[in-house]
Amino acid sequence: MAGGLAVSSRQLAALRLLRRRLIQAVPLMLGVVVINFVLIHLAPGSFLELMTAENQVSDPATVALLRKTYGMDDPLWLQLAKYVWALLHFDFGFSYRQNMPVLQAITIHLPATLLLMVSSITLAFAVGVAAGVVASIKVRTVWDTLVSVAAMFFFAAPSFWLGIMMIVLFAVKLGWMPVGGMATIGGGGGVLDILHHLILPTLALGLFYAAIYARVMRSSMLEVSQLDFVRTARAKGLSRRQVTVGHVLRNALLPVVTILGVQMGTVLAGSVVIESVFSWPGVGSLLFDSVSSRNYPVVLGILVLGSLVVIAANIAVDLVYMWLDPRIEIR
Amino acid sequence: MKFDFLGRFSRNRGALVGAVVILGVALLAILAPLVYPTDPLRIVAQPELWPGEDPAYPLGTDSLGRDILAMIVHGARATLLIGLFASSVATIIGVGMGATAGYFGGWIDEIAMRAAELFQTIPNLIFVLTIVLILGSTLQNIVIAIGIVSWTPIARMTRAEFLALRDREFVQACRAMGMGNGRIILGEILPNALPPVIVLSSLVVAGAILFESAVSFLGLGDPNIASWGRLVGDGRQLIRSSWYICAIPGVAIMITVLCLNLIGDGLNDALNPKLRDR
Amino acid sequence: MRPLEVRDLGTTLFTRRGAMKAVDGMNLSVGAGETVALVGESGCGKSLTALSIMRLLPDPPARIVGGQVILNGRDLVALPEQAMLDIRGREIGMIFQDPMSSLNPVATVGAQIAEVLAAHTDLGRRQARARVLELLDQVGMPDAERRLDAYPHQLSGGMCQRVMIAMAIACSPSVLIADEPTTALDVTVQAQVLTLLKRLQTEAGMAMIFITHDLGVVAEIADRVVVMYAGRKVEEATVDDLFEAPLHPYTAGLIGATPVPGAERAARLADIPGVVPALNELPAGCAFAPRCKRVMDRCWKEQPALTELRPGRRVACFAAELDAA
Repeated sequence: MAGGLAVSSRQLAALRLLRRRLIQAVPLMLGVVVINFVLIHLAPGSFLELMTAENQVSDPATVALLRKTYGMDDPLWLQLAKYVWALLHFDFGFSYRQNMPVLQAITIHLPATLLLMVSSITLAFAVGVAAGVVASIKVRTVWDTLVSVAAMFFFAAPSFWLGIMMIVLFAVKLGWMPVGGMATIGGGGGVLDILHHLILPTLALGLFYAAIYARVMRSSMLEVSQLDFVRTARAKGLSRRQVTVGHVLRNALLPVVTILGVQMGTVLAGSVVIESVFSWPGVGSLLFDSVSSRNYPVVLGILVLGSLVVIAANIAVDLVYMWLDPRIEIR
Repeated sequence: MKFDFLGRFSRNRGALVGAVVILGVALLAILAPLVYPTDPLRIVAQPELWPGEDPAYPLGTDSLGRDILAMIVHGARATLLIGLFASSVATIIGVGMGATAGYFGGWIDEIAMRAAELFQTIPNLIFVLTIVLILGSTLQNIVIAIGIVSWTPIARMTRAEFLALRDREFVQACRAMGMGNGRIILGEILPNALPPVIVLSSLVVAGAILFESAVSFLGLGDPNIASWGRLVGDGRQLIRSSWYICAIPGVAIMITVLCLNLIGDGLNDALNPKLRDR
Repeated sequence: MRPLEVRDLGTTLFTRRGAMKAVDGMNLSVGAGETVALVGESGCGKSLTALSIMRLLPDPPARIVGGQVILNGRDLVALPEQAMLDIRGREIGMIFQDPMSSLNPVATVGAQIAEVLAAHTDLGRRQARARVLELLDQVGMPDAERRLDAYPHQLSGGMCQRVMIAMAIACSPSVLIADEPTTALDVTVQAQVLTLLKRLQTEAGMAMIFITHDLGVVAEIADRVVVMYAGRKVEEATVDDLFEAPLHPYTAGLIGATPVPGAERAARLADIPGVVPALNELPAGCAFAPRCKRVMDRCWKEQPALTELRPGRRVACFAAELDAA
């Protein structure tokens, strides 16, 4: 009974956090939309001209319809209001290039990107934390130096270059990995095949962040192991491993999880480049294609949806942090 | 005090190496027109010569027959300049926002922090590419765009420093003397708040270089600038046969960024000796 | 045989500035049910003595360089670390100064107490939980059942200290070391914790070493007192003897510097001039000489040995020796 009370109070706190963050997300998204809107109107030449010219729409009836849809003749504030209204109805416009609504084009490509993001973050977290822990346990030894040097290397190496080098080594020279794409063309497209294709892109994207986490984890572990409660744990007769895992590690993880949240935006951005290197059919490839073909609605749609993904990921990370650290109180 | 700082900095061997190398790179960039006076984009030899094949071209030639070493040397200019300018933009915006937020507090702080959150939420590369698409991929646009997505950490750090310093006695003394806010911010608090920002700035330059490399690698950078990222991008088609075309510029980027990181670490250690975990 | 006997214990700090003898020639013995107070200013080596006994020294820079720590007949200094894991928490327990920061912030209080049980007993989960409740009741935790699943930040300082005590006595150790357990607590809570410790000690017949710099607490809780200065024992006596007739000038100074409730407000607190010397700047001769009111020529040249004037009454001071002669 007593146990039940304590658990649900943390659940309540989690729900409160969720609610607060969702409420905070609204002005944030509004800001994104406004920025989008500003960008549209910063374009030299009218947005409509650009759209119609690039997409070779010349039929006057269509042009008039577009004019009406995008409210070109309305005052600025009305245009913004209509734009927001449209977005709320999930109307991101139409992509002539893909011949489908923008939203649909994006959501088709989204799962591939999410897969890449999740696997990269997982890799980065697992490898980074493990390396940081090892370095801190074997501080000032060869292992520590090795981890530090590796971290420096992967932190400085541009991820696209790393990806290309990996392709050269593992795909071209050794033939262990596929050169690109998400699945073997003509193959069954089974889970294993996809995972095989996922390895190099994940490494290329994730090792950069693993380097960061390794460094942070290392100094966090060293810091936490100096704290009073670690001494208490040892005085209880717990073995070094029990102390390191149960007491030091659990507390040292907190700063790393915090950083995770902050970097969500850059991870998503990084996947754009990696997708280009590995021909991974995600939103990044769509973005690249759209920028090259000047497909404005799609690019802007990706901006909005990308921000949404970042917000969602941030909330998820916050919830994880709350779960790890019972000291967080949400008023 | 300054000599003390320099002494601490030089004791960190990594930082020293980093500083020396960066100076070397900068020198190379400045002296590029002297070392390689001719246009690096000129075709000089047969294409796809491997490094070491022809002693006249130590780093080989690319797909069109251009001297890679010449392109690297000239690319140093582009890369470093863009990195410096972009991080300057980021620093100006960041320090400005952070100082105002930290000093005045209240709703100004709220707005500034909301803006920071906004720019941290929008995925940075996507934002830069959008700007590049809409406003055109000129050097100015790219520099400003990178600056716009990079100011947030500087703002937060500046704000934290200002929050800590604004209630100190020397500031209160200045106010009692009747000094205006502007003078206090710029003349009194800012010089004291700068050291951690300086440490951060070397990392921001590194970040800007990586950023610009990514944009030009995708082929979306300024077409007139042959930065190292662009060189990597250009060599993509030939990775099966002449992968050195991609490798070499990437190594150049990596070494530069690495050295900047080492310098940043050295600055950090030199400015915060107590925080070292050794 | 007494549960704990420390013989000629030496602990040295190996730092960049040189090797410093933080604990030098320490002798200590505690009997069952007896409380020995280890007294001295900050930096005199009392905490390091306790950590040396527990073999919890931060290495680097500290290391035991000599002596024996005989716990229930076994020399702890000679034991391999694996064997020490059995002893810590089971035969000898320790509680620390700042209870709020001495508990793991991300684990419940009940889980932390259960950890000790899991390490040294083979109680099942339900039995362990019951035992934890028992312990919390024993240490006087109000509303124990609810507090079991609380986190340290949700408890007050006094309650956190009770939890620490519960963890330390969970396996009924023969010796309990208390390193300034009440220093960080309010005066009223202090009194509660002291009463609790005394009660637990009587109930279990535990030997207790109580480290403190507060002579008021010593008067309340100790049977015998050991006074330390600059890493060495300088005086030892029963608590009554010590307060009635302190022999070492340092002890006299400490007692004089203790505010006495009810004394006239006009009376100034006697103060010991000077500061405790840094361990690597110890003078030749008696370490207390620079601050001593009774210093003689001899004190500057020779270090006074600890002499036993009567059974259980020891002092390291040439002036005191002269007095006794």
